[in-house]
Amino acid sequence: MNLSISHLSKQYRRDFWGLRDFDLELGPGVTGLLGPNGAGKSTLMRMLATITRPTEGKVLWNGVDILKSPDVLRAVLGYLPQDFGIYPNLTGQEFLEYMAAIKGLEARSARRRIEELLVLVNLVDAASRPLGGYSGGMKQRVGIAQALLNDPQLLIVDEPTVGLDPEERVRFRNLLSDLSGERIILLSTHIVSDVEATATEIVILNQGRKLQHAVPEKLLELLAGRVWQWTVPSTELPALKQKFILSSTARRADGIQVRVVSDSAPSPEAQPIPPSLEDVYLQLVSTDGTRS
Amino acid sequence: MKTLRILYAMARADFLERTRRYSFLLMLGLVVWIGYLSASGQFRMRVPPDYTGIVNSAWVGATMTVTVSFLLGWVGFYIVKGSVSRDYSTGVGQIMATTPLSRPLYLLGKWLSNFAVLAIAVFILVLEGILMNLVLGRGSFNLLALAAPLVIIALPFMGLIAAFAVLFESIAWLRRGLGNLIYFFLFLFGLAGTAAFATVGAPGKPVNPLLDFAGWQIIGDGISRAAQAAYPGAASGFAFSISSEPATKLFQWNGIQWTADIFLSRLLFLLIAPGLVILSSVFFDRFDSSHLAPMKKQNINQMKEQKASSDLTPVATIEALPVPEAHLTPLPAGRARFRLGTLFMAELKLSLKGQHWWWFTVVIGLVIAQLLSGIQATRILLIVAWVWPILILGGLGWREARFDTRQIVFSAPRPLLNQLPAAWLSAFVVMALAGSGALVRFILAGDTVSVLGWITGAIFIPSLAFFLGTLTGSSKAFEALYVLWMYLLTQKVSMLDFAGLTPHSPWFLYALLSLVLIALAVFTRQRQLRSG
Repeated sequence: MNLSISHLSKQYRRDFWGLRDFDLELGPGVTGLLGPNGAGKSTLMRMLATITRPTEGKVLWNGVDILKSPDVLRAVLGYLPQDFGIYPNLTGQEFLEYMAAIKGLEARSARRRIEELLVLVNLVDAASRPLGGYSGGMKQRVGIAQALLNDPQLLIVDEPTVGLDPEERVRFRNLLSDLSGERIILLSTHIVSDVEATATEIVILNQGRKLQHAVPEKLLELLAGRVWQWTVPSTELPALKQKFILSSTARRADGIQVRVVSDSAPSPEAQPIPPSLEDVYLQLVSTDGTRS
Repeated sequence: MKTLRILYAMARADFLERTRRYSFLLMLGLVVWIGYLSASGQFRMRVPPDYTGIVNSAWVGATMTVTVSFLLGWVGFYIVKGSVSRDYSTGVGQIMATTPLSRPLYLLGKWLSNFAVLAIAVFILVLEGILMNLVLGRGSFNLLALAAPLVIIALPFMGLIAAFAVLFESIAWLRRGLGNLIYFFLFLFGLAGTAAFATVGAPGKPVNPLLDFAGWQIIGDGISRAAQAAYPGAASGFAFSISSEPATKLFQWNGIQWTADIFLSRLLFLLIAPGLVILSSVFFDRFDSSHLAPMKKQNINQMKEQKASSDLTPVATIEALPVPEAHLTPLPAGRARFRLGTLFMAELKLSLKGQHWWWFTVVIGLVIAQLLSGIQATRILLIVAWVWPILILGGLGWREARFDTRQIVFSAPRPLLNQLPAAWLSAFVVMALAGSGALVRFILAGDTVSVLGWITGAIFIPSLAFFLGTLTGSSKAFEALYVLWMYLLTQKVSMLDFAGLTPHSPWFLYALLSLVLIALAVFTRQRQLRSG
């Protein structure tokens, strides 16, 4: 099972590329796609989901070019878009039955699969209610269920935890981890903790380009010994912000605890601490922004 | 001052949004076409039986006024309607609802924007009239005679149409297809009513100014008097048609005799329009749709229980909560393949779901009536039965865009070859069921032509709906065209008879056209899929 992306680009206007010269090789596991808004995550996902045609480049699914034969991938694809609608007059169960028919599933297997999915996404009680009355989180869970209907080998989920409450978010993260064994999962988000909890590999995107692709441990190594933490009086905070990239701040009784990425100790009181993925992400994106 | 600024900003933003849409270009195309036909004398206004005015500035102005009143009064409504609905679907309305913007002010902004779009059409006609007059050079050019009927008669009417569009969008149940259907008949009967009163009063004095919303009495009164002066045998009123044959019985008409009464009556409509908009604000829910589907008590209790249980759960312990394992039975190999039967049933269910019990009752009633009526009455009942599912047909070809399910539907295997035929077939079956009584009657009567016409009709209608839905991304074009078409079928217009209901029906041509429409719908959908 292999997804190979080479030189993939999407040009929206003459002077604007949504994605530029993107290469990636993916095997089974969860790959987290991190990037700020407008980084090109959704553009990449839509191209991989065969919705949008790339301007340049190639995508091979097990060696088959999906631009020439999109149905080869579509048959094994589960896709949860960032924004999607539902048919308000159908119940949750009926909507999944409709999507199962669209995906060409045999009726009996589809029925069993839908029952299991409804349990999985915690919608058994709401399954017979029209979708028009669902909350945002419930609609998102229906979206997750439809993406899993055909037991996909490639699961693409774009900002899947948007609208989910904390409990459902944890449930979804665990679900992704459980599902990842025999399939390729591409998870796009700008919530670092979602990726931290599930991803076996991480790709960081910014301004339509790939900044990094590595396992989380390798990414953390990038900032080993370069993350510092100490407490400063709140009056010093603006000056500190001018000088360093602050990856987090927290109010304490004696001032504000700051977390800073720096090659050397930024203050005599600063203590080195282990880096987090959030530190790495912020550092990579902000230095890339400064460079460009 | 602040209110005016808000009004201007709202109307401007809305206007700019519309003018950058494809439908605006379509409207401009329609207007230019109307102008050309009117100014070149092909769109012919005549006084019965067959008297036509000499083409001069006044005649061109009056012809343009009548044709623009008819075509934009009808199609223009569908073009401008949709602005409030868009604010519902995009969610912009919810943001607006949290501002101090009042209902009347919001709706007045929408009206102004509607009016501006339609007013542009009128001014384009004035410019085109001038241009055509200079190019064709028929008679001496008189700007006032050309422009005055358009500005004084057509423009206030456009204001009224713009207000009706706002009214229909303010009332929840008129906002979609049903409203489009009701408007068509309202417009048609309203216009027929106003035409019926033409030329009854004294010159330059509308008999019933409150009924003459399109200003046809004013024009009809003037031209029929001029025709009668030249040809005493000329009747009252007027008709219009498209013809390229040169007119022979000509009379001179130098334009409307403008009087204070006419000005006042037109001014009245210009004032009624914003009044109607303010009245609309009474029905407008200000983006609070909670009253549309009151939640069942059982659901409220369920939600309360869910909330109570989530309230008891401290956030810090969430990670420790037991999460059910993913028990998903693997699907057998070769699982995803085209299953027309399953997909057809799913599409049929999707089409019919949400229809009320009385909708099905009417279908059953119409089928029984077709079976029990005489053959001529059955033909009329068949037309009614095929108009009845108009709202289902109107959703064909663009349902995925309307409900924003494109990404999940089109990322499924073979979206073009699987979903499209199943959706078309489901619409065909709906048409077949609705008209089944007539089919049985035709078969029993041994009327082969009617049977073939029936089959063609059941194929042609979904094909037309599919093509227009796919092309325009809306139900409006189909709904507007379809009701007019079916109305003309009741008037036995043979040329448009795709269902073999009249002796000279060219139904076989429509069978071919159906195939062309299906091919065009597939081609359009394919292009949409490719462009992403």
